[in-house]
Amino acid sequence: MAETDPSSARRESLARFSAALAAVGGRVHLASDEDSAARAVTAIAAGVGAREVALSDAPLVHRLAARLPREVATFDGHSDRARLFACDLGLTTAQAAVAETGTLVLDSALERHRLVSLVPPVHVAVLPAGAILSDLGDALAGLGRGADLARAVTLITGPSRTADIELELVVGVHGPRALHVVVLEEPAP
Amino acid sequence: MIHGLDANGFRGHAAEALKKEAQRAALCRATDTISARRAAAVAGVPDWEQLRERARAIKAEVLANLERYLDQFVQRAEEAGATVHRARDARAACAVVERLAREAGGGAIVKAKSMVSEEIGLNHALEAGGWQPLETDLGERIVQLAGQTPSHIIVPAIHMSRGEIADLFVRELAVERTDDPAELTAIARRLLREQFARASLGISGVNFAVAETGSILLIENEGNIRLTTSLPPVHVALMGIEKLVPRLADLEVFLRLLPRSGTGQHLTSYQSLLTGPPARDGQEGPRELHLVLLDNGRSSMLADARERETLSCIRCGACLNACPVYRQVGGHAYGSVYPGPIGAILTPQLAGDAAAGELPFASSLCGACRDVCPVKIDIPGLLLRLRARSAASAAAQAPAAEERRGFRAWAWAMERSWRYELAARVARTAAPVALGDDDLGRWLRARVPPLAAWLSGRELRPPAARSFREIWRAELSRGPADVHG
Repeated sequence: MAETDPSSARRESLARFSAALAAVGGRVHLASDEDSAARAVTAIAAGVGAREVALSDAPLVHRLAARLPREVATFDGHSDRARLFACDLGLTTAQAAVAETGTLVLDSALERHRLVSLVPPVHVAVLPAGAILSDLGDALAGLGRGADLARAVTLITGPSRTADIELELVVGVHGPRALHVVVLEEPAP
Repeated sequence: MIHGLDANGFRGHAAEALKKEAQRAALCRATDTISARRAAAVAGVPDWEQLRERARAIKAEVLANLERYLDQFVQRAEEAGATVHRARDARAACAVVERLAREAGGGAIVKAKSMVSEEIGLNHALEAGGWQPLETDLGERIVQLAGQTPSHIIVPAIHMSRGEIADLFVRELAVERTDDPAELTAIARRLLREQFARASLGISGVNFAVAETGSILLIENEGNIRLTTSLPPVHVALMGIEKLVPRLADLEVFLRLLPRSGTGQHLTSYQSLLTGPPARDGQEGPRELHLVLLDNGRSSMLADARERETLSCIRCGACLNACPVYRQVGGHAYGSVYPGPIGAILTPQLAGDAAAGELPFASSLCGACRDVCPVKIDIPGLLLRLRARSAASAAAQAPAAEERRGFRAWAWAMERSWRYELAARVARTAAPVALGDDDLGRWLRARVPPLAAWLSGRELRPPAARSFREIWRAELSRGPADVHG
């Protein structure tokens, strides 16, 4: 009996994740390595006319930010709250994702993601392809317990929204109006 | 004690609400829309019934052992650095938050949607103390600006049209008039963001609390809960003690059930799983997390295994959207922060029969609520139990003279078959006059109070020209050959 080819299982997982995320209005960009991830982030920033980009404290984020064009200013999202509230785009990674629902899982023990992924009107998250889990149960099982459980785990499924006025959908309320996920094939060092 | 409770005027409030044609139409449209979205979302889940049963069982287990799970939750939460306050009633809970507001200093107080905070009248208490808590959920902010209370558990301003909201924003926010939802939302976003940035205290509710880890889970679409719970240095989370689930893994069942039941979504945009104050462990977020565990009558509901089912409620609002009464009269008619079918059982159980004994009667017992409840609360069964309780306490007083006379007459007529036939013949003769759509008919009906009340909402068909007994004696008792021959 043939074993499940791990790379085809990963492709299928990625396909499920992309479809689920697209269904809630998120965008997926594939990147084979950090070079193409940097190009993807640059293109997204250019697409939304971003001039100021807030960064989380993840090393990968800083490496990608260094490759952005000079006219795009980047800053540590936690150093300057006023600048964070005025900027155009927030760049973070994601520690895991859920294929079933198109959900990103962000872990405060590993990255200062909470405000950078929330305040700017556009959020770009770089996700390692190998971190895509199958369903919500897997995501919950993967969380630590006791002191190993992050103080804040944030699950993000698409941009922010409301239907509080006559049940009409409006995208982009207090959180971002656009969510882009750059899926990185090559495992991060 | 439920803040602002005015539940004994349901009949009058409902009659008033029914006259508001525009609001009725809007509410019917809205509840139909959400119900359709829910149905579509549920249709995509093949094991929906098993999920409901699992959820019911989890909640039943928690409620049967609530003290033990509460102790575990408190212990784990405190180990993670949270400060736990157990509040016996509304006053105690408000006092805790007022003290924390004093200690937090002079910045803004931002508030995310919390039914429990409405139950205890928190905004009212804070305003009396000189603070201005700012609702950040769009629907709650609209209702706050209008000086009203929410009329639906999930969509607080469901009773307001875009035109009304447009006028409200012009009046209260001095902006140019627009009735476009996207533009109205953008206005609210801009104004609220300014306040978020200077907030010293964030107040939220809790959707689920996890005993195993001492964590709380908050579920939303807008992002205002994330801002409220990550920006200010102090976060206060209010929860009823029944919000517990035993294990982190149990959250999966409720994450599948709640969004679909509440809004028809597969999953809401954001879930925040928070465990203790992050800054204490060098992580991003508040330096203080306070959990206020509210009793306010809940523990007295635990003794009865059937009545405590009410505490399984996960506040999805599906029963409101399914209810033929709610969709016509809206939430305000119930006079309670908890309207609709769940409100009709929860309110009298928390506040007592004297204050809310009329609410269990605000139902036709159609059972639509029970069918959509994700945790399988037998709402009609509980409505009947509460009606019996209400009637038993009423019967302890002397029944009305008319009721005694009416039942004596009924008993007399039923004791002998000739009396029954006599009564039936009188009724048949009197019917055309008694049921007539003229002044005499109306006068007669008003003379018989139980009949008048009964007939105010129902049509009574006239009795048949001949009774079955008469037909039987005249034709049928002779046997088939004679009838057909």
